[in-house]
Amino acid sequence: MSPSEEEAILGRLARTRVGIIGLGGLGSNVAWMLVRAGVGALVLADPDAVEAGNLDRQFYFLDQVGLAKTDALAANLLRIRPDVRLELHRVRVTGENVAAIFGGCNAIVEAVDAAETKAAVIATCCDALPDTPLVAASGIAGTGPADRVVTQRLGEAVWLCGDAETPADGHALVAPRVALVAAHQALAVVRVLLGEPEP
Amino acid sequence: MRVELALFASLRRYLPDGGDGHEQTIDLPDGTTVGQVISMLGLPDEPRVVFVNGRHAHDEQPLHDGDRLAVFPPVAGG
Repeated sequence: MSPSEEEAILGRLARTRVGIIGLGGLGSNVAWMLVRAGVGALVLADPDAVEAGNLDRQFYFLDQVGLAKTDALAANLLRIRPDVRLELHRVRVTGENVAAIFGGCNAIVEAVDAAETKAAVIATCCDALPDTPLVAASGIAGTGPADRVVTQRLGEAVWLCGDAETPADGHALVAPRVALVAAHQALAVVRVLLGEPEP
Repeated sequence: MRVELALFASLRRYLPDGGDGHEQTIDLPDGTTVGQVISMLGLPDEPRVVFVNGRHAHDEQPLHDGDRLAVFPPVAGG
């Protein structure tokens, strides 16, 4: 990529704001990728604290166990890029608060855990913010081949990353595959923000 | 009326034609709702997200000739 093309992309991404719902294996890794890619601002939401069991795949460190994920992730992201603007919400995202928290975002990442919660978050975002691009994930577990992980367009403003089939209940969450899906999500966000909506 | 039906991932096996793909055009009585199609197909009572013509839809939404109904079942992991 030529320096001018890189500058143009960075310039466009610097003016964008991306929301991330859930800061686990997907959300914490999507966050650092978007920060390194040059996204100007992130809105981060998660009600939980860092646990020792998260460290096998999530972007936290041993000395952060017990901290709110929002605070721990913010500290780590600011070590990469002190100029990134962060808005932190230590809450569970619901139909009541989604528009207030993420209404100003250019794209939203769904990165929650339980299948019921995923369905509810996708539905909630689609209803409250139907024109805001939403990049969701499903099928991140197991040790299946990397090329089964894909990005597909589910709806007018909804993209889905993952193998779509392998659930975390009954399959291991293995760092490289979780990070692979996170990378699909981060790239989908970047492409959508740059006006390339097709996967 | 004719509706294009798309069932993703584990729901593919509920397509009436039982083929290898994930899409099929089906004939339905006028005014059939999303929920009635889901019931008719016998989809399992598991989390799902429904789109009609690319926009999120609820069970009570009536379908129209030429609509595209897509159903996706998210699985756990985040």
